[in-house]
Amino acid sequence: MGVYFQVEEYHRPQDLAQAVDILSRFGNRAKVIAGGTDILPLRPGVKKLDTIHHLVDISKLGLNFVKKENDHICIGAATDINTISASPLFLSGPYGALSDAAGAHSTATIRNRATVGGNLCNASSCADLALPLLVMDAMLVAAGPKGARHIPIESFFKGANFSALNKEEVLLEILIHSCSEKTGTSFLKLRRHQTAIDMAVVNVATSLSCKKNRCEAAGIALGAVAPIPFRAKKAESVLVGANLSKEVIRKASAMAAEEAKPIDDVRATAAYRKKMVAVLVRRSLENSMRRCGQ
Amino acid sequence: MKKVDIKIHVNGDWYELAVDPGDRLIDVLRDQLDLTGTKEGCGEGECGACTVNLDGQAVLSCLILAAQADGCKILTIEGLQRGPELHPMQKAFVSESALQCGYCTPGMIMAAVALINNEPEPDENTIRKNLSNNLCRCSGYDRPVKAVLKAANDMKEDINA
Repeated sequence: MGVYFQVEEYHRPQDLAQAVDILSRFGNRAKVIAGGTDILPLRPGVKKLDTIHHLVDISKLGLNFVKKENDHICIGAATDINTISASPLFLSGPYGALSDAAGAHSTATIRNRATVGGNLCNASSCADLALPLLVMDAMLVAAGPKGARHIPIESFFKGANFSALNKEEVLLEILIHSCSEKTGTSFLKLRRHQTAIDMAVVNVATSLSCKKNRCEAAGIALGAVAPIPFRAKKAESVLVGANLSKEVIRKASAMAAEEAKPIDDVRATAAYRKKMVAVLVRRSLENSMRRCGQ
Repeated sequence: MKKVDIKIHVNGDWYELAVDPGDRLIDVLRDQLDLTGTKEGCGEGECGACTVNLDGQAVLSCLILAAQADGCKILTIEGLQRGPELHPMQKAFVSESALQCGYCTPGMIMAAVALINNEPEPDENTIRKNLSNNLCRCSGYDRPVKAVLKAANDMKEDINA
């Protein structure tokens, strides 16, 4: 029997200290595995695969949970994405975008294995779950040899498939601060076939907090249009303090399209992506408005 | 390369195996346990031919290492049948002519069985969404969807009978 996937050793640490110890010992040669759906499709010859000699399975570390604590919601890094899409915590109001994004991620079969932490750590620019977490200002908790540290999600993505995690660190959980009920969030994803497995041509998440019709806070996150998923700050500043008219939303959408720096690739041209950013941001802002009861 | 000792429950029996760290679940099912009903199509999670049930959920056996399945309960197409009689889902695929070459069928049936176990009365839209990870290149999708609807109905009647 030919070995399909070349790995020297498969580690099954029983607790966090063991996991960190193994990662510290093998450094760049080791990789954390949770669901495995991003790691297994790597092919020999793909540069990242050649450096993986040790897989570190984190399934025994108890990182599969979704819970509500005093002023925030905690999601364990190894929580599978179907658990997020089914959780009543995210079904309505201020967290709706997370449920939307989880439901739009890959397919039901893959979501049974794929994890939220894996989606973030893979650090793809089109990571569906990164966008709602960006507009919710999520805080990521990672642990390494020197203990745990908090990383704001905005500074987590460093480049294409490159995150702020050190080689010996494990992502533990994602904290989302409770949003007020006045906040509405939404996520939209454009792909070549809307029901089939595919990565996004463009994906966006937005959040709006409104009092009467006046916007108090706004978030716009864009995916698949730059090396990393990011917040479109200039477009957000168009909204904050303004009365949310059609005109203002249109202006913010156009600004978001300007901030996008897409490339041509197999899925779409850069020009098409820019146009679609404006359309998706506008629709997503309209959704967010409806969800905050405006 | 250091072997990994695993214990997996497949179609009603426990197996203790020593696997290579890079062996995928599909490799172990087909090559070590001779359960060749599970097919490999693309090997990268697109086609769903390798779908099996792991702890009651549909998963792709080409995207799971055997070591990850340690301690889990696995059901493959071979484990559906009880005695000489086919499983209601298999019967429905036959009676609705939901297959031609049959290569995608084990995966489609296992995805459908997991769906029915978790949601006994799915509507057509739910079925299409849940089978969207299973590609068929000859018969198309209408007949498999009809077969799943029929099986759901038959299984409900079985329980009520």
